[in-house]
Amino acid sequence: MRFWALIKRDVLVSWRKKSNIYQPLVFQLLIVTMFPLGLGAGAQTLAKIAPAVVWILALLSTLITLENIFKDDYEDGSLDLYVLSGMNLYLASLSKAIAHWFTTGIPVILFAPVIGVLMHLPDHSYGILMLSLLLATPIFSLLGTVGSALIMNIKNGGMLLSVLIMPLLAPILIFGAGAVLETSLGNSAYSHLMLLLGCTVLSLTLAPLAAAAAIKINLE
Amino acid sequence: MISLLLRCQKLKLTLQKHAANKPLISALLQIQDAQCQRAGEVLFAPINLAMDQSELTVIAGPNGSGKTTLLEAMAGLSRFSSGYRRYEQSEELNNWLQHSHYLGHKLGNKGNLSCAENLEFVAHINEISVNQQQTEDVLDKAGLAGYQHQFASDLSAGQKKRLALSRLLLLNKTFWLLDEPFVNLDHAGCDWLYQIIESHISQGGAVILTAHDQKKIHDLANHHITLEAIPEEVFT
Repeated sequence: MRFWALIKRDVLVSWRKKSNIYQPLVFQLLIVTMFPLGLGAGAQTLAKIAPAVVWILALLSTLITLENIFKDDYEDGSLDLYVLSGMNLYLASLSKAIAHWFTTGIPVILFAPVIGVLMHLPDHSYGILMLSLLLATPIFSLLGTVGSALIMNIKNGGMLLSVLIMPLLAPILIFGAGAVLETSLGNSAYSHLMLLLGCTVLSLTLAPLAAAAAIKINLE
Repeated sequence: MISLLLRCQKLKLTLQKHAANKPLISALLQIQDAQCQRAGEVLFAPINLAMDQSELTVIAGPNGSGKTTLLEAMAGLSRFSSGYRRYEQSEELNNWLQHSHYLGHKLGNKGNLSCAENLEFVAHINEISVNQQQTEDVLDKAGLAGYQHQFASDLSAGQKKRLALSRLLLLNKTFWLLDEPFVNLDHAGCDWLYQIIESHISQGGAVILTAHDQKKIHDLANHHITLEAIPEEVFT
């Protein structure tokens, strides 16, 4: 009940504060339009770098939303409410991650093909692109809860957050963009996707643990 | 031998004299030798408190003396740097959390949720199910009748405080820990808050709060804690 209540509330809050949802998408759109202008090249060059660009954009656009996962709750005091309700902080962190994934991860996945088209991503790569993002966006949200819990009482901690979790996200980028790249070249993406899945499971089990510990540290 | 007896007597007497400050072993809530730190510095001399049901404790002290820090530590949001809290003879935190509700300076209202949604969330997070009628009743009592669909961010400061205080009526916890609950409230609001505190105490609840110039609430209190900053030289 607590678990769902927290997810429900977070999704509702993000839904009402629309910028949470469209900010990453606008960010992606703005940057992707710069590529053809900056490169000045035809479809072939764009297609070559498309897997990497689509993936990096998905990653960066999620990164800018991570800071607020816990920070908003910390600042308005509603964090105290669920911490003091005796709620298991592992579950609380997990539900925060799930809510973040609903409001950021899913839009990013659904928007990725648009970016793909703008980058002339080869037609047969879209399935794998979305599948790889489906596996990876939960990781962004889960690691984001850890980072956000660590920096929630720091003013302007966004930069610190990026520095903290970027190294953890680098392997995800390698496997994810690698999967799309292999597919676009006509190879199998199986091994990349399996590694990505492994990362998803790993962060699903461990990240809430770390986030819960980070909340405790910050409250002491 | 006689002198020893006499000394024992004397000790007993002094003990009785300080009985108000010394914890009774049977007390429901016991706080023993509690101290808090801020930025590595101890804030006040050790606090002892023993509270039972139907009691009120008022914490007073100048700004910066550590009232909020003490209350947060009592609530379980942070830790005492030394000393402990014991509830029903146990130091286990979860048991205490189930029976207490803390309301601090950060009110915990979500701005873009309506009043009713804010209350529902708090109820659900405390594993209480509420229906629309109950939340409306609670808002009525808090003087927020008709505001149930209003976003919390659209309320005035006093109304926000009322919304936060209305949680107390919804959650039905034994211990209330309130950090300056009278701040931002108008006269009617202060009277209302005084009344709910009084009726909560008469119904077997217990309240710990910090307040400055609320004479009525000071008169009602069973325990007073006055925080005084520890002189610097003690630690240098």
